[in-house]
Amino acid sequence: MAEFGGRRLPIYLVLDTSGSMAGEPIEAVRQGVKALLSDLRSDPQAIETAFLSVITFNSGAQQLNPLTELMQFQEPTFDASGTTALGEAITLLDQAIDKEVRKSSGTQKGDWKPLVFLMTDGEPTDSWQGPADKLKKKKVGNIIACAAGANAKTDPLKGLTEIVVKLDNLQPDTLKKFFKWVSDSIKTTSASVAQTAADAAVALPPPPQQIQIVP
Amino acid sequence: MTTRTATLKGGGTIRYVEVDDPPAGGMKKTFFTPDKKQVVQFFHDAAAARDVNRLARLEAVVGRYNPTLDPTTGEYFRKLFCWPTGIVVAPTVGVVCPAYPQTYFFEAGPFSGKEKKGKWFSSPKLRGYLPASELGDWIKYFQICLKIARAIRRLHAAGLAHSDLSCNNVLIDPARGDAVVIDIDSLVVPGVFPPDVLGTPGYIAPEVLRTLHLPLNDRNRSHPCAATDQHALAVLIYEYLLYRHPLRGPKIHSATSAEEDEMLAMGEKALFVEHPAETSNRPTGLTAAYTDFGPHLADLFKRAFVDGLHAPNRRPAAVEWERGLMRSWDLLHPCAGARCPHKWFVVAGPGSRCPFCGTKPGRVPVLKLRRQVKPGQWMPDGELVVHGSVGVFPWHAFDNAQTGERAERKRLGYFGVQAGQWLLVNEHLDSLTTESGNRVPAGQAVALIEGKPFQFSTGPHGRLAEVAYY
Repeated sequence: MAEFGGRRLPIYLVLDTSGSMAGEPIEAVRQGVKALLSDLRSDPQAIETAFLSVITFNSGAQQLNPLTELMQFQEPTFDASGTTALGEAITLLDQAIDKEVRKSSGTQKGDWKPLVFLMTDGEPTDSWQGPADKLKKKKVGNIIACAAGANAKTDPLKGLTEIVVKLDNLQPDTLKKFFKWVSDSIKTTSASVAQTAADAAVALPPPPQQIQIVP
Repeated sequence: MTTRTATLKGGGTIRYVEVDDPPAGGMKKTFFTPDKKQVVQFFHDAAAARDVNRLARLEAVVGRYNPTLDPTTGEYFRKLFCWPTGIVVAPTVGVVCPAYPQTYFFEAGPFSGKEKKGKWFSSPKLRGYLPASELGDWIKYFQICLKIARAIRRLHAAGLAHSDLSCNNVLIDPARGDAVVIDIDSLVVPGVFPPDVLGTPGYIAPEVLRTLHLPLNDRNRSHPCAATDQHALAVLIYEYLLYRHPLRGPKIHSATSAEEDEMLAMGEKALFVEHPAETSNRPTGLTAAYTDFGPHLADLFKRAFVDGLHAPNRRPAAVEWERGLMRSWDLLHPCAGARCPHKWFVVAGPGSRCPFCGTKPGRVPVLKLRRQVKPGQWMPDGELVVHGSVGVFPWHAFDNAQTGERAERKRLGYFGVQAGQWLLVNEHLDSLTTESGNRVPAGQAVALIEGKPFQFSTGPHGRLAEVAYY
């Protein structure tokens, strides 16, 4: 039974580590995760409630960190290679949420609705429609999908969630701003999660100018 | 980093240092002046910033309702509030405030440079990450509660309400027992449309959540006001004294979602975890209880969370919390338990033991104070639990002495033990007098002997003290 302090805000970072991210972009993603972690670890609300998991995908999908308390979280290591198995990533995310997030029931205080940030820079190379459709219908949480760079396709992401943003490019500064926005969004959500109505979309801070919301 | 100039309402300018990534809260971003003594804060939402109601509110807050401008008590309240000193009109609307004193920032450790929001200290999980030197003893939290109650009493006395009192909007320094109320710009001001803020989860009054679905102008909708501040104040005090939330317990209100469950648990179905009759929300293994802190606080907590949780007009006012905390302060005693996590407890009567570690104190001398209502007729008027670091102050010795911001904080006497006998040593009491009528001049002492009362002063309003040992 979860008591005071027991309700968690699960955060899933689902990151594209395909070959096209090699070089500067993947290094910027690493730095971004590092900065995000350091930022959240100094925020009392986030430390109290946020739990973090990182899933990466290229030719396949891997959960590098299971859902872990912020202060215990070990920074993941990843490299860029291979293709873009978005479908597999979505399936893995779906399974992780099923397994890790506590459901509300008559005998258990459930976790807050998970917050998912999914970032991809290219076109999916596997079959993604089925898994995307399935996850979207389940309404498991708030999914924010990010199409990063000139080659990223927003259509598959629209198949997954209503909240899609686009990054103009994969420059280190742009990615840095993106991760800062993710971190701010998590902080805002962990502070206000309790007053969000069950069916309402999460209120995110306005994105910086390098990030556009795709209508 | 560029130094820019902002224009103040009423003329004048202020310089601030623009940085790329300024600290930002939900409403404003903050820049420092070049000397770092003040901050210039701009509202995120430029349209809302031009709102005439907001401007009217700010003008009232900075001007006629400003307690820090009072010639006699202003200085005292400048320590309890981070009160805006000016309104910025360009480049966008904002406020100028004093920068928080350095004591409200962590100096070392993993959170160095971060503001000491109350949240850090009331959450058992977060306390675990803080250096022991930052945590402070329980008596400091008592002091913090008293200061917050006093600050809110002052706001309410002026007809203002804070509207978003929470662990995020009060910075505390438990090492020194200091507190400052921040984010003063969304106050509820008489005669001005109330601000469109809900408050912070966990501190929002149940009636506000219960009527949240109604339109803003519906007459049944509850808006932030003094009564909702009274709820938030009681939650803060409960959290600082007991390190847990008064409404977050195991009871499940919705099997559908966490969000719905929380909405009911804090709103319509809110239930005190220590409700004496309805125990379904009581966590297992509670250590100290709200009834362990003496009669004054037990009564206030009961009124806040049992009687007044869903009946706003039955909640204790901030001034009652202030008075109750003052009176309970006089009942504090150091705990002799070597492993006691909190080092202090309230001596509520004979046989009291520390609720945090179970240690029983030795013989505790207690002065039962009485005031004279008619010649020769003395009514009970508080108690003072005696120990080595307690003093006699004017508000103990005289029943008409000022407390709070107008108090004269001059110690009139102190206590000590000589040859196993507790004594009150006179420092500045003009007519300390024993039962048999002997004057005890400054520098001499009166023995604290059961059944031998004494008068602090034979002058007007001087109190009598009966001596008891618990």
